[in-house]
Amino acid sequence: MRSPARRTTWAVALSATLLLAACGGGDEEGQSSDDPIVVGISLPLTGDFSEPGKGVQEGYEAWAKTTNDKGGLLGRQVELKILDDQSNADRVVADYEQLIGSDQVDLVVGPFSTRLVVPSARVAQEYNMLFVEPAGAAAEVFNQGFKNLFYAAPAVADDHYNHLAEYLLALPAGQKPTTVAYAAMDDPFAQGTAYGLKKKLEAGGVKTVVDEVYPPNTTDFGSIAAKIASAKPDMVVGGSQYQDGVNLIVALQQLNYQPKLAAFSTAPTSPEFAKAIGNKTAGILSPTGYSQDAPYPSNKEFVEKFTAQFGKAPEEDQANGYTTGQVVAAAVEAAGCAEQGECQQKLIDWLHGNQVETVVGPLSWDATGKPQGAHMIQQWVGNDIKIVLPAEAKEADLVYPKPAW
Amino acid sequence: MPSGALLFQSIILGLLLGGLYALLAAGLTLYFGIMRVVMIAHSAFLILAAYLAWWTSTELGIDPLLSMVVTVPLFFAAGVLLQRGLLSRLRPVTLTMMSVLITFAIALMIEGLLGYAFSGTQRRIQLSYGTASLELFGARVAVVKLIAFGLAAVSLAGLYVLMKRTQFGWALRATIQHRDAARLVGIDTERTAGFGFGLGLATAAVGGTALSLDTTIYPSLHWHWIGPLMAIIVVGGLGSVAGAAAAALLLGLAQSLLQIPMGATWAQTVFYVALFATLAIRPQGFFGGRLAQRF
Repeated sequence: MRSPARRTTWAVALSATLLLAACGGGDEEGQSSDDPIVVGISLPLTGDFSEPGKGVQEGYEAWAKTTNDKGGLLGRQVELKILDDQSNADRVVADYEQLIGSDQVDLVVGPFSTRLVVPSARVAQEYNMLFVEPAGAAAEVFNQGFKNLFYAAPAVADDHYNHLAEYLLALPAGQKPTTVAYAAMDDPFAQGTAYGLKKKLEAGGVKTVVDEVYPPNTTDFGSIAAKIASAKPDMVVGGSQYQDGVNLIVALQQLNYQPKLAAFSTAPTSPEFAKAIGNKTAGILSPTGYSQDAPYPSNKEFVEKFTAQFGKAPEEDQANGYTTGQVVAAAVEAAGCAEQGECQQKLIDWLHGNQVETVVGPLSWDATGKPQGAHMIQQWVGNDIKIVLPAEAKEADLVYPKPAW
Repeated sequence: MPSGALLFQSIILGLLLGGLYALLAAGLTLYFGIMRVVMIAHSAFLILAAYLAWWTSTELGIDPLLSMVVTVPLFFAAGVLLQRGLLSRLRPVTLTMMSVLITFAIALMIEGLLGYAFSGTQRRIQLSYGTASLELFGARVAVVKLIAFGLAAVSLAGLYVLMKRTQFGWALRATIQHRDAARLVGIDTERTAGFGFGLGLATAAVGGTALSLDTTIYPSLHWHWIGPLMAIIVVGGLGSVAGAAAAALLLGLAQSLLQIPMGATWAQTVFYVALFATLAIRPQGFFGGRLAQRF
């Protein structure tokens, strides 16, 4: 499957290069300052990832509009060139070959999902292009040896709970939870969140009493809940997506288990969540990469402009697309250039050495492009989910021990 | 070594789960008994019924259990139509094989329509008694699970009485046991088979409603159910409702208890281990069912 497609893309790239060599010459230095900066993007607008793909597209479009309304980048307008990769990894490679090789875009930014980010980052690397991407939080993105890649979000899965771990380990001995139960879906992202916290709490001397991993197709959580409830831990942590988190919480409530703290990834931040568990949300914690209420300077503008443009408030996917744009823009403004060639290395070097203010907070990266931050922690208080950690972004104080659910 | 309380709690959960499995598998074994049909779409109909229950609860604001007033007759009619219109027209030689393909297609259609009508968003019925539970010797019994178990017990008992005590039941069992002989004694086996199929699908309406009380549903959920249900009816002996019920209780209990030492991933395999063991040791099933031998 892979090698013929690969060969085709090489053939395309080669012929593109030949064509350019044939008709090129003398064209290079003629970049007038009114030319738009063209940003090439391939997104899954159809297929498996079409929902998040469209979300990211809106984020990119909102960024381009906001930037152009303010006079553009380096005085030039920003123009997006978006191709649909149909959620297909071979297609995404061909798309970026086309964008960089034959369309000669000035900048490229990433597609959606780890599966598509890795092959497309490889193409960008071959052309020495800066590659900032809005999705692809799994470990495999960062152990490929990419030097040009930057993940435009606060943290990878393992670091989502860092603020909570810090908070809990800093509690005085009498209050600190001593026992924790973990239940995580057998999925690199969901498990990563729970195990990231587990590692830190275990290092801090908090005992693990239950450690359950369940397959993604699990629908009955009665037995897992029974195991957790009978161990009576102070705290329960769910490495969940959506339905599993909801079902596990309900199963725990049915067994009348009342932990001092309950933290679940993803599910509690979903708009359907409170209704799904009959509003018994009291005190449930969840890490989140983006909140409309976060106090970061550019976020207010983003929410306003986005709502005006699309008639709805932005969610995490949209914020990730927008953040990617902000990161690239910061590098372009600092390096004073936006075109293929040497400029790209300047952009990459600048991002490796600097911090960027975005709608998800200040971002900085290590050598592999892994962001150095952590997710905000939100908690259900009354009928609303509020940011409680870190202290500088909080809307309410963390309630611990949490009220009964 | 797990504590006694956890063991007791797991046994209760296992029995409740097994009861639900028994209800969900009842229709599946009935179809096979009546027509040697492998009905892949059974679990898709379960999810359809669950969605209708959810819709009743959210849009009309009434208890989801009331949706059965409409769904049970509706599914019965759909079952009769399905059997008369599609499955009875298949050639007997290729019936089992073709029925897999046809019902697979039906399952995909139901899944697609559910996605179209209700979107892929995962739904859960909001019930005032959703997390309520009763205490039983230190263990907790969730009210919704108890209702689901009750529905299973009532409908399986009803099915049993229907099969053993009524003229239609005798005709249906005769059709299952020996179609030619049944025809010789004057039973309209075609019509009986149609009604039998409708009966099977009516159990899916009850089963889906029971399922919806305590599950988060989404259109593709049925693929997670069809495997374990198929394993249950093979272990129970294809075509035997009582056998399927016994196998369901046993496997539900085994799954629940095995989760304590083995975890959720390995406990799930109990269905397939039981399936292989049955096929290797006793292909006709462990709880009755003479049919598989002939199959």
